[in-house]
Amino acid sequence: MKVKCYIQGMAAISPQSTFEGDVFSAPLVHTDSNLLTCMEPDYKPFIPANSLRRMTRVLKIGLTTALQSIRDSGVEAIGPIVTGTGKGSLQDTEKFIREIEQYKETALNPTPFIQSTYNSVNGLIALQVKGTAYNNTFVHRGFSFENALLDSMMLLAEGASNTLTGAFEEMTAEHFYIKSRIGFWKAAATDSRQLYEQLSPGSIAGEGATFFVLTGTPTSQSKAALTGFKMLYKPTAEKVAAGLSAFKEGIDLVLTGRNGDSRYEHFYQQADVLFPGVPQLPFKHLCGEHDTAGAFGMWLGAQILHRQQIPAGWFPMLKDIPATAGRILLYNHFYGEQHTMMVLERV
Amino acid sequence: MAERVFITGMGMITAIGDNVAENLEQLRQQRSGLGYTSYIDTIYKQVLPVAEVKHPNDALAALAGIALREGYTRTTLLGLTAMREALQQAGITDVQTAPTGFINASTVGGMCDTEKVYFDIVDPAKEGTFLQYIDTLDCADCTQRIADTVGFSEHIATISTACSSSANALMFGARMIKQGFLPRMVCGGTEALTRFTLNGFNSLKNVDKQFCRPFDQQRTGLNLGEGAAYLVLESESFAKANNSRILAEFTGYCNANEAFHPTSPSPEGDGAYEAMKAALAMSGRTLKDVDYINVHGTATLNNDVSEGKALERLFGNDVPLFSSTKPFTGHTLAAAGAIEAIYAVLAIQQGLIFPNLNFTEKMEELNITPVTALMEGVSVNNVISNSFGFGGNNASLVISKYEG
Repeated sequence: MKVKCYIQGMAAISPQSTFEGDVFSAPLVHTDSNLLTCMEPDYKPFIPANSLRRMTRVLKIGLTTALQSIRDSGVEAIGPIVTGTGKGSLQDTEKFIREIEQYKETALNPTPFIQSTYNSVNGLIALQVKGTAYNNTFVHRGFSFENALLDSMMLLAEGASNTLTGAFEEMTAEHFYIKSRIGFWKAAATDSRQLYEQLSPGSIAGEGATFFVLTGTPTSQSKAALTGFKMLYKPTAEKVAAGLSAFKEGIDLVLTGRNGDSRYEHFYQQADVLFPGVPQLPFKHLCGEHDTAGAFGMWLGAQILHRQQIPAGWFPMLKDIPATAGRILLYNHFYGEQHTMMVLERV
Repeated sequence: MAERVFITGMGMITAIGDNVAENLEQLRQQRSGLGYTSYIDTIYKQVLPVAEVKHPNDALAALAGIALREGYTRTTLLGLTAMREALQQAGITDVQTAPTGFINASTVGGMCDTEKVYFDIVDPAKEGTFLQYIDTLDCADCTQRIADTVGFSEHIATISTACSSSANALMFGARMIKQGFLPRMVCGGTEALTRFTLNGFNSLKNVDKQFCRPFDQQRTGLNLGEGAAYLVLESESFAKANNSRILAEFTGYCNANEAFHPTSPSPEGDGAYEAMKAALAMSGRTLKDVDYINVHGTATLNNDVSEGKALERLFGNDVPLFSSTKPFTGHTLAAAGAIEAIYAVLAIQQGLIFPNLNFTEKMEELNITPVTALMEGVSVNNVISNSFGFGGNNASLVISKYEG
């Protein structure tokens, strides 16, 4: 199969001011609490007030980002809807577990149970856009968004005229604590701007929603093309190197999922060796580490290609920032287990 | 021309049996797996029937052929048991001998074990062996533990689309084969009973206190079940070169969304109608070629009306023989699509139509009634298997007799 698709529209809600306006001119948002939280927009233009009241954060950011990406694309009839989420609605899951305990399994409100279902965001999007085509949700940690992307490219190859493809993730205080017990986060409070200088076990947490409208053929609206794609499950260092090497041709910028975690930094260091002299941008200080951070990386790469500009203000830790790029390699992995590589090109 | 996709192995565990042969025997004997839970800590222990796999976790580990290991949830153990049989039946001793993908499905992942220790996990004052379950809640945990135990290293994915999850896993695997990514895929799902899901469906007021009665006028809801099932899918060229034993052909499928309501199907069954119609069109079969429909048939008030209406709309006065096997296995959520896909293959292989247990009274909204007694010696060439879920997710599969 020919791995190729075009980004027709995109939107991101993230810890940065990425949702509307001239996003690249927005100042860098940072944290020193090891947790980057989403900057939430005004949802009223997107979601009716009566629905909004019942929805938890991940449902709101997921649905709103999806709708914004459709607006951005100019596409009127949305085809298949495919998403990825590692953890789904944590807030609703926690709420329902707690209520079962608290009310001793009686007189429970079903809303958090319904919303805890991993495909509930997809169902909401379908309802709102009256999308009756194919609808699927992938839930595999650092492969969640990437499987949704693969599925979308397969759908385009099978004849779909477009797909709405995205990812969403939320972090809650409780889940942040749970993951701190098994070393997901740095033990010491870290300034997110110094993430890459503070090599130690763990990273900083993040969250966000990112959606794209994809097409199989380019249009005058196309913002970037995805021309290379690879997923590697628990690979050896050699397999990572071989995977990266296969994408060497013409790359003039490497986006990496570097996250300051000393335990898995060696994988990213292979990119340093294989791409000498090619500038690199790390993106986890912008969005934090989470299962679907790769979707944010793809958004950033596509924005850079579309605008032909790199937001220098977002990278105060780097001395030399190139003015622009034409072909970008994105390499990300989730705690050393799910490795993903993508090539993005200017259209 | 895209490759045809064949089913070359099957493995399963449900409340009516630890493997495919035991499931077939209980279906033939018309013996339900419904009863009451031995393993869930719930006030509904003796109140709400469930279809539970009749083994504690250590016995499941033995069935799966492994020593009970740290962090192996019931979801993982059920999955491994079914996986072992599927590979064995397909003659695969080592999945590394040919590139093989694994597409798994689950709705609540390792919730079965994490819910028991959740409040210890979130309590900083507590330490203990419960911490081995700390990262097992999500749906990828069972997929990766099964993959790592068996040795899958090619493409892996986990799908969660509520009750249509494993039907979508089968579809995704078949599409990857057709597009030439991999010649062989193992697809299905695993689901363990949990207090979380039992209370979830009960809070929606759609759990029956009696044994469920699909397509019956007096139905009042579903019974939850647990289990796991995997099917080995192979491309035609791989299956032939490999000299695989072909059990059936996977000829059609469709995933369609209703965009009607988060938890209810549309009254006229628009999504079910669309899914069955498109799956059948893909299979190249006509309405008359369908010999049996294994309906979703949860026995909830809404599903059976809308699914029944969709059958009448699609087939008119000639609705094929149909039944729900949920009274045997309970509603196994993410595993249901794969379990029922195996039942479809068994119907074809054995010439059987399974009875829809507990049916007595025709629904007033419908003109049709399900098969109520086991039928044997039937020529079954094409089966539609339906799985519908929350979020408007509808999936239909067409499984056909293999003919050269």
